[in-house]
Amino acid sequence: MRTILIGLGNPILSDDGVGLEVVRRFCQTPDLASRADTLELGAGGLRLMEAMVGYDQAIVVDAMETGSSVPGTVIEFSIDSVSTTRNISCSHDSSLGHAVSTGQALGLKLPRRMQILGIEAGDVETFSETLTPEVEQAVPLALTTIARFLEEWTTNP
Amino acid sequence: MTRITIDPITRLEGHGRIEIFLNDDGSVQNVYFQIPELRGFERFCVGRQAEEMPVITSRICGVCPEAHHMAAAKALDDLFMVEVPPAGKKIRELLYSAFYVADHTTHFYALGGPDFIVGPDAPPEERNILGVIRKVGLDIGKQVFECRSRNHDIIKTIGGRAVHPVGGVPGGWSRRISNEERKTILDSAMKNIDFARFSLKIFDDLVLKNAKLLSMVTSDIYYHKTYYMGMVDERNQVNFYDGKIRVVTPEGKEFIKYPARDYSKHIAERVEPWTYLKYPYLKNVGWKGFVDGNESGVYCASPLSRLNAADSMATPEAQEHFERFYNTLGSRKIDGRYQPVHHRLATHWARLIELLYAAERMLELARDDEILSDKTRILPSGEINPAGGIGAVEAPRGTLTHHFEADSRGILTSVNLIVGTTNNYAPITMSLKRAAEKLITKGKVVSEGLLNQIEMAFRLYDPCFSCATHSLPGEMQLIVNIRDSRGNILETHQRD
Repeated sequence: MRTILIGLGNPILSDDGVGLEVVRRFCQTPDLASRADTLELGAGGLRLMEAMVGYDQAIVVDAMETGSSVPGTVIEFSIDSVSTTRNISCSHDSSLGHAVSTGQALGLKLPRRMQILGIEAGDVETFSETLTPEVEQAVPLALTTIARFLEEWTTNP
Repeated sequence: MTRITIDPITRLEGHGRIEIFLNDDGSVQNVYFQIPELRGFERFCVGRQAEEMPVITSRICGVCPEAHHMAAAKALDDLFMVEVPPAGKKIRELLYSAFYVADHTTHFYALGGPDFIVGPDAPPEERNILGVIRKVGLDIGKQVFECRSRNHDIIKTIGGRAVHPVGGVPGGWSRRISNEERKTILDSAMKNIDFARFSLKIFDDLVLKNAKLLSMVTSDIYYHKTYYMGMVDERNQVNFYDGKIRVVTPEGKEFIKYPARDYSKHIAERVEPWTYLKYPYLKNVGWKGFVDGNESGVYCASPLSRLNAADSMATPEAQEHFERFYNTLGSRKIDGRYQPVHHRLATHWARLIELLYAAERMLELARDDEILSDKTRILPSGEINPAGGIGAVEAPRGTLTHHFEADSRGILTSVNLIVGTTNNYAPITMSLKRAAEKLITKGKVVSEGLLNQIEMAFRLYDPCFSCATHSLPGEMQLIVNIRDSRGNILETHQRD
């Protein structure tokens, strides 16, 4: 089983970069690092779909702004969900849903399992390399959630 | 006309929100689009080492990091007062050409294409890349993805990293190109040319040979006689990487041609009480509002404007299409150059001609033995330009200018960027207004088609809000508010 963990976002725009931070910490965690390939991307849509080609399983982590959860809340959802994260679609090409359908129509090998983790952001409008404290605290929780998915997928391939 | 006054402290904010203000007669008075303001970029940069800027600025935007990387590298050449050796320049332009091929391809098939190929009246759920591929066929769809993939690979090879290149340094490029790499680049460049020819043929077959679509392109919707900006080489031919900034009048006469360094002498920014957006305009013409014509300093910077601002294309096949473009759209040659085309929907065609030019230019550069030289960089002496460093490139969405100032140690003291999309804020506003005027009379709103026409106005400029601000989620979430002369909301149209 080939698995990829993709972090989306902008590392210099406060909480928008939380997905990238999760991927970096994943790589620094000895028990986790070897269990998935990792990638950081600035934009979703077609690029995100293309990055998943050839993998059996994919987890995408990104900041989100639902406005209905407190900053730092980690929400799991599937690609078919009506909710969306900040960078999962690309305003210059496609939503992730259409990108994946396009990839499938073209016969590209896309993961059987795609899991999206959204982390509610506090500030995504200030240039900064630092996460807000609430969102920073969500990083270990996101890692635990990712570990749980990897465990479940290993037990139930 | 009712004068609309709104307290400046109630400036409008929101994500992809368009505000249409009616006057007391119920006709359209003003249209504004709203995007969130990002804060503190200059503060983020000041105090850092100037040479970090190509990497930092490429992070501003997930869509065109290559353009920021290149503009920043050029601004550093100027700041550190170092002339890039020929190999360094050619390698930069080679990467930049591959980037243009990938970016323009994506725009046509994923964004512009749906309006034409799937059709302007098709339901929104079909007007996307999947709809395009269903219409043109899976084989073509595969070619689109192969094109993206091979050019992304080249950007990664030359740039040293996928997505966000790291090769650009003051004085040149940090790595050389090997013989093996060159073979791949040559092969890809040739495939790119075939792909560009083929894309122009699709446009020909599906749009130019379709009377209804052709009449849409040449209709007066989104027709604006503005000034046009574009970078040109010494022969006044389109160049994306280097040259002078040329502005032509609505009649096509050269208004001004200046080195990037002089941008602040020619471009000023208008602040409107309604919005945080700043609207650049030609200082020496002046701001007359969101109107076109010779007296209005509004200018456009886009694929269409680059063709309008140049005398010709630098590569043979692109030049053939350039001539066909102007002849087909009824432009006459005056004093050896074509009059500008003002039909903004023709921007989609212009973008494909640029795609072919980028592919041809890529092949020229790949065939040049100098790209194999190991003299890709000249080390700066450490001296800092007291006048600061300014660099510009043509980003796919308009002229992009970076301006850095630093102290004698090379520590940044001031940073200013004019990003591609910003140039087009006023023209976008005008096209949105035109769309609204067609659909709103005496306070009656034709809801059918409102969102479509507004989307089409946006798409032709392909505004990059990631860069200007970094928000707009997904495929155009749109909120259109229609307000009376007192600012009360009469109707809201929304598409998530």
